[in-house]
Amino acid sequence: MLALPEPERIFINRIERGRILMASEERTQELIKGLYDAVVAMDEEQAAELSQVALREGVDAYYAVMNGLAAGMDKVGQLYAEQEYFVPELLLCSDALYAGLGILKPHIKAEEAHIKGQIVIGVAEGDVHDIGKNMVKIMFEAAGWTVHDLGKDVKLERFAEEQQRTKADVVAISALMTSSMLAIPQAIKMIRERDPKVAILAGGAPLTRDIATSYGADGYARNAGDVVQEAVKVLSRLKGN
Amino acid sequence: MPASRQEKMTKKERIDALLKGQPIDHVPFYPFVLGFCARNVGYPLSVIYSDPARSWEAQLWTHEEYGFDWGPIYGYASYGTWEFGGEVKMPQSAYEQAPTHITFPVQTEEGVYRLELPDVKKAGCLPLAMEFSRLQEKQGTPITLIFGGNFTIAGNICPVEKLCRWMIRKPELAHHILQLATDHIVDAVKYWADTYGGEQVIAQIWEPLASNDIISPKQFETFVLPYMQESGNKILGMGVKHIFYHICGEQNLNLPYWTQMPMGDLGICSIGSQIEIATAIKHLGTKAIIAGNIEPNILQTGPPQQVYRLCKEIIEAGKKAPRGFMLMSGCETPPETPPYNVYMMRKAIEDFGWYD
Repeated sequence: MLALPEPERIFINRIERGRILMASEERTQELIKGLYDAVVAMDEEQAAELSQVALREGVDAYYAVMNGLAAGMDKVGQLYAEQEYFVPELLLCSDALYAGLGILKPHIKAEEAHIKGQIVIGVAEGDVHDIGKNMVKIMFEAAGWTVHDLGKDVKLERFAEEQQRTKADVVAISALMTSSMLAIPQAIKMIRERDPKVAILAGGAPLTRDIATSYGADGYARNAGDVVQEAVKVLSRLKGN
Repeated sequence: MPASRQEKMTKKERIDALLKGQPIDHVPFYPFVLGFCARNVGYPLSVIYSDPARSWEAQLWTHEEYGFDWGPIYGYASYGTWEFGGEVKMPQSAYEQAPTHITFPVQTEEGVYRLELPDVKKAGCLPLAMEFSRLQEKQGTPITLIFGGNFTIAGNICPVEKLCRWMIRKPELAHHILQLATDHIVDAVKYWADTYGGEQVIAQIWEPLASNDIISPKQFETFVLPYMQESGNKILGMGVKHIFYHICGEQNLNLPYWTQMPMGDLGICSIGSQIEIATAIKHLGTKAIIAGNIEPNILQTGPPQQVYRLCKEIIEAGKKAPRGFMLMSGCETPPETPPYNVYMMRKAIEDFGWYD
């Protein structure tokens, strides 16, 4: 579930030239729904246009991102997991998401930007298949995480180095090939040597939850639609909540 | 095969009879083993794809050791990148399995219309594949020409994410690339058919990118089915008798369309572990030999007992296929597979694979 900002933020959002810009609750919800629908409908232009309108009419940028764009992407993830949407649709939905984010993000106040977490992500050494990793990246960005994307065919030690540099909460490693999946336990060992407490997710076509666990990962997701929830669950478990 | 029962056929007789729909003595063992063979004989893995003579040796020796029935093969899934002008690299590191793309032939919309059909006598890996087929002909093993499928070639010509976006936003671009992929397949098979005679050639088509992990069945119907039907019909028109489709990955939702593919008499359809053998038989069993589908990951990591039990189950299910069945891994046997697990596949055939 997405966290809602405090109610007062919804209506008193921006001050320009001494004038408080306000949108009525009804209008705010109309714009939020429009942003949500634009993402789900893969409508990049509409997402961009409504983001501009939302700003112009004083809707809080963070609220619009989280309850419009990100909520829409959350629905897309669900549709993907249910095989209503496939990779082509998910990619176009993410284009709509990013079109809106590009406009709204610069207007999010630092104190409002409740970053949900940081994640280091990459495809294991020896593997250039990154479409799954890119789907996962989209879902984390949509959910308000900061993503440090190492790309594909990532040398094993890079995961540990980047986690140390960024102090990320989660490291996610994927592989599509049965040969490259063998790199995952090696990478996990290197990460654990430097930070035994970091949460690690492993995924990709040849993996199962059992295999991910046997490699030392804390979590696994079958597809991009489930991955953010899995990360939150793992973090909560590791923190003893 | 040092079996408890006496084999009544040679490997060649067994495969010939299988392809003609005639009775055979036991389930054949199909060698979806490439990098494993290099590891098995101590060669660098890259020779499987870059050196036809050593690739042949490594596979032949490994086949003798494990009793595979079909002959050595040459091919890889990222086919299309090199042939259309991109760059691939041969597997080098410990975790690599097959050639992978470095640069794609097409990156932009304009680039799509600048694409030209490759000269099949010179392009990419085809000269190596032709050299390999000469060895297949010389040794009397099936002359098997392996491609990516039409959609997989398209996704190796341009990044698959681009192809996916174009399918919805600019379908004319996707269709243009798919038509080129289709024409290329036809051109290449014609070259092989002209060289060896169509009836001697088996076209083998690996189609991982059209899996439902990427595209929907509806998209398969629009962007895969018509192109594969076109190339299939043209290939059969050259006198080729058998088309071998490797239906790679999660393709349960695509199966109704696979039944509509031209595949000759008999066709061959191999499936990944994501599709049940019984499901494959239900959809494809009347027109194709079914092959499959030992989970590669279990081969790589499972204890021998698990591999053996799984092979037993799959052989028993596969023997119900009305037009025949071959035991094989659901996708390429990982190079790091413990050799004893490959022996478990063969032993399971020996123990459970006989037709009474």
